[in-house]
Amino acid sequence: MSLVALPPLLVAAFAVNARRNVDDYLHQIEMIVRPASDGEAHAGAEWRLAAVRLIGDGRDTKVTFPGQMRLVIVQLSATARQEIGEGWSQCRFTLVDDRGRRWLPLDPTLSRDISRDLDRNAKPVEGCGIASLHPPPKDKSVTIEEKFVVPADVLPSLKARLSFVGTRPGAIDLPVKFD
Amino acid sequence: MRRLFPASLMIAIAGAILLFLQSTTPPYAMLTGPIRTSGAQGDTVASRTFSARVDKVVRAKTIAYKRFGKDVERETSGVWLLVAVEARAGSQTMPIRAATIRGASGRLYRQTRRADGAPQLLSAKTVQPGLPTTGLLVFELPEEELADMSLLLSGQYGPQLQDEIVIALDDRKIAVRDRAVLGDDGL
Repeated sequence: MSLVALPPLLVAAFAVNARRNVDDYLHQIEMIVRPASDGEAHAGAEWRLAAVRLIGDGRDTKVTFPGQMRLVIVQLSATARQEIGEGWSQCRFTLVDDRGRRWLPLDPTLSRDISRDLDRNAKPVEGCGIASLHPPPKDKSVTIEEKFVVPADVLPSLKARLSFVGTRPGAIDLPVKFD
Repeated sequence: MRRLFPASLMIAIAGAILLFLQSTTPPYAMLTGPIRTSGAQGDTVASRTFSARVDKVVRAKTIAYKRFGKDVERETSGVWLLVAVEARAGSQTMPIRAATIRGASGRLYRQTRRADGAPQLLSAKTVQPGLPTTGLLVFELPEEELADMSLLLSGQYGPQLQDEIVIALDDRKIAVRDRAVLGDDGL
């Protein structure tokens, strides 16, 4: 009798493991991407592009970077439409271009140092990871900021992509426009 | 007796098949090991996620550099091996933290920690898509290892099912210096 139970038990164990693996995988990838739109919440908040700065071509500041290298500073504003709780866990805020390439943000220490270099008196704006630890209460807003190093030739096609472990494989795109 | 013979034959065949399967099964470490792409010094070797080219290799007895404005000089009882590399990321930002030299004996030598803080170290940089990044790798190894060397590059040490680039270093293209200066422009 116990031997008869073995095949279905093995199949059940395999199915449970497979489902767990598929769930883990889906929470890592961004497969369903939609443009962010007014009035539509993502991870419990409405998102909009608050500010974009382009550093390195000598226009925003006097700093020029060699060759194609540019620093892009992107601020997103989020207005909570519900209690977010842990809904912003494992925040992923990246830049993507139309060829599917992805730029990850600079690490928080370097990002803070750059903020101080750009404006000694300004308080650095928190990144996505830190902000996700204390999201705003319902109907309040918060601004998050990340910095990216990108080549100049991708600037016209850049989009900010945002996802959280609870939304993946879903993500939203916000076009990044430079003046 | 008639029934016993075919049964024994089946058991023997099954045993032989199982033995064959067991002896030919690749070890787990190999199944989950790195995905290797190989090439030669001076060529751009491209894997799925990043590519690299060895531009220059220098061996020296002493290295010198500035760290926090102070002059630093390091000697060795072996040899310093300095490798200038240009790396390119494929579709996503990535660090190339792991660099190892496989020496003549087959031993593996990771980047030295004795040169931490030297300028232009590749391990301190992050490679961005569309932005070729040059950097230095510093190794300290015994002189007898300086033949038939290969450079192994990957995002992190011990890559599993991730890309690893293997570049064979050409002994004839290794410049020899008594003292190598690591500056902001590299070697």
